[in-house]
Amino acid sequence: MNGRQTILIVDDEPQIQRFLGHALMAAGYDTVLAGSGSEALAGIASHEPDLMILDLGLPDMNGKEVIERLRLRSDLPVIVLSAHDQEMEKIMALDLGADDFVAKPFGIGELLARLRVSLRQRRAARPDVIRQDGLVIDLAAHQVSRDGEPLRLTPKEFDLLAALASNAGRVMTHRKLLALVWGPAHVDDVPYLRVFVGQLRQKLELDPAKPALILTEPGIGYRWVQPEGGTL
Amino acid sequence: MDQEISPLKDDRRWISPPTLGGFVGAGAILTAVAILVGSARHVLPESVAILLFLIAVLISAACFGFWVGIASAVGALAGFNFMFFEPHFTLFIAKPEDVITLGVFLLAAAITGLISGRLREQVDAAQGRAAALEVLSRVSIELSRADAPSDVARVAVRHLNALSRGPSIALSPVEGRLRLLAAEPEDYLPEASELEAADAAFRRRRPEFASAQGWNGSRLTFYPVATGAEDAPGPVIGHARIPADRRDHGWRESAIDVILRQTGQTLQRMALAEKAEAERRRATSEEMRAALLSSLSHDLRTPLATILGSVTTLRELGETLPPAAKADLLVAIEEEAERLARYVEKLLQLTRLKAGSEIHMAWVDAGDAALAAVARARRSWPNARIEATIPPLPMVRAEVGLLEQAIFNLIENAVKYAPGVIRVAGSVERGTLVLSVTDRGRGLPDPIADWLTSDSMTRVPQVSGLGLQISKGIALALGGTLASGHRAQGGAVLEIRLPVPEEHRA
Repeated sequence: MNGRQTILIVDDEPQIQRFLGHALMAAGYDTVLAGSGSEALAGIASHEPDLMILDLGLPDMNGKEVIERLRLRSDLPVIVLSAHDQEMEKIMALDLGADDFVAKPFGIGELLARLRVSLRQRRAARPDVIRQDGLVIDLAAHQVSRDGEPLRLTPKEFDLLAALASNAGRVMTHRKLLALVWGPAHVDDVPYLRVFVGQLRQKLELDPAKPALILTEPGIGYRWVQPEGGTL
Repeated sequence: MDQEISPLKDDRRWISPPTLGGFVGAGAILTAVAILVGSARHVLPESVAILLFLIAVLISAACFGFWVGIASAVGALAGFNFMFFEPHFTLFIAKPEDVITLGVFLLAAAITGLISGRLREQVDAAQGRAAALEVLSRVSIELSRADAPSDVARVAVRHLNALSRGPSIALSPVEGRLRLLAAEPEDYLPEASELEAADAAFRRRRPEFASAQGWNGSRLTFYPVATGAEDAPGPVIGHARIPADRRDHGWRESAIDVILRQTGQTLQRMALAEKAEAERRRATSEEMRAALLSSLSHDLRTPLATILGSVTTLRELGETLPPAAKADLLVAIEEEAERLARYVEKLLQLTRLKAGSEIHMAWVDAGDAALAAVARARRSWPNARIEATIPPLPMVRAEVGLLEQAIFNLIENAVKYAPGVIRVAGSVERGTLVLSVTDRGRGLPDPIADWLTSDSMTRVPQVSGLGLQISKGIALALGGTLASGHRAQGGAVLEIRLPVPEEHRA
């Protein structure tokens, strides 16, 4: 092992594999290529990669299936590449445990940023206290303060904030948030979640109309903003 | 929508009104008998003379109906009285028993007249029924063969003309105004009063009856014919009045009534069939457009993603990229930009199927379309070896530009992926026209071959140009299929299969 992390690139388009290969090598990662879902699953077993980039338009099985099979035995971080017409499939993939998504076509910077967030999430132990933009979120003590001023949150609001902030930079789907905070019986109560996110923004955001902490991913879910200088 | 034609009541009569011709005929028969009896008066016994006169009455009654029979009986009586009763050659009756004889005579004549009249009516009715049935069966056969509303109108007026023994016309609304659609006799031109009546029938959606004989006004009775479509009112059909003194008047009226109903139903059927066909065509081209757009978006996205990804890699990671990688990325950008340009070219083809436009089908010589595609392919790739063996082929319903494009795309696919000779051929198999493009390459990859033969229009599972998808889409839009196979000697066979209409099958 040379200490470099290995990325498995799963895409049936050779030209996409080609530039991703060059880019990831230049960014300091080792790469393994797979052209189909079954190759990807075999590649995971033989190369033990640190992260998988998965294109959703595979010829042999859809991305959802790949993630389902993968999640049976591994919590390998997955970033899905999706097109606009694969919206539903993308959401399913995220609900099933993909960590994030990048929409085609994308600039390499965007992909590398998502990659770093997902890789760090897996390595970093969950902190007890999150400090960001004057906010201090004490996950163990269930307390939030801005610039030393304590903020009053209901227990559910705090759970929602914890779910978002401890996954900074990652997209959290509606279903994932609902399952984490309200339990698996409530995964379809999206309007309910919207109300709570609205309340949370009122209490946390400097300008709730232009949220800077809880970003909306339209139709998918929410994303806690990546802290400044938090990149590797 | 029901037609506003009231069913006509059955108005058969045992006693039909007498005609002048009947009286003249009866008079002639009576005169003949009188002359015969008169000239043989001295040899003929009285009883035979009575029988002769009775026969005359019977013939008159049988031929000309009840009233003429009665008149004939009175006439016969007068003649007989004149010749045989005392005093001879006067109409004076002397003996009372002669009065009884005369009464019996009259009664016999009346009963004969009635019975024969009734028989006659029954014969007339039966003949009328048979004639009406024959007309109706002919009408329904002819209507079922008609393939345009104008044909339907022509069939209707021809039969109405035969039934009413007078002019018959059909008028159809064009931009709100009635125009002559068909007439029998063909040169018949309706008068202003008739057009007025037709217009009234059309606007009020109810029959306008012809004026009675001798009155001014329309000579034709007009009926509006319903087509069942609210937005497309049917034609107005007019026919001459049937003289009420015709014995089979009732049957003719009913037959006309039925013809009008059948005409309406046929037009309704046609309108529905046309609607369904238009809907089917629209749905096919919609589906095709949707499928093409989704495959197109995918095919455009891949080169775009490669170009954007490669460029941003060069810009953001340029310092750490090895020179070989940089060169490779630049080559990738160039290749994908070229691919993009080709797709955009194909996109222009697709504008032929732009939203809202229908495919305009016409009779097309499939062989011509294939040869045009071959010629174009030879111009595009002068080095490719393309052989065409196209025998005379039947005409098919298609749009010639699209059909040519579909064949061209198959040839292009072969030129790109298969070295060696490419053969374009045409044949007819069991009512299906087959246009095939055969190459000597490695054959189609299985996923593509499977996709081609499926009904699905979703995207091809592997990278391939838009060409095959467009060909498949066109084949489906023209009511056919795109099939693929492998040659025994290796290579791919792609076939566009189109249905050949019955009337064009050899």
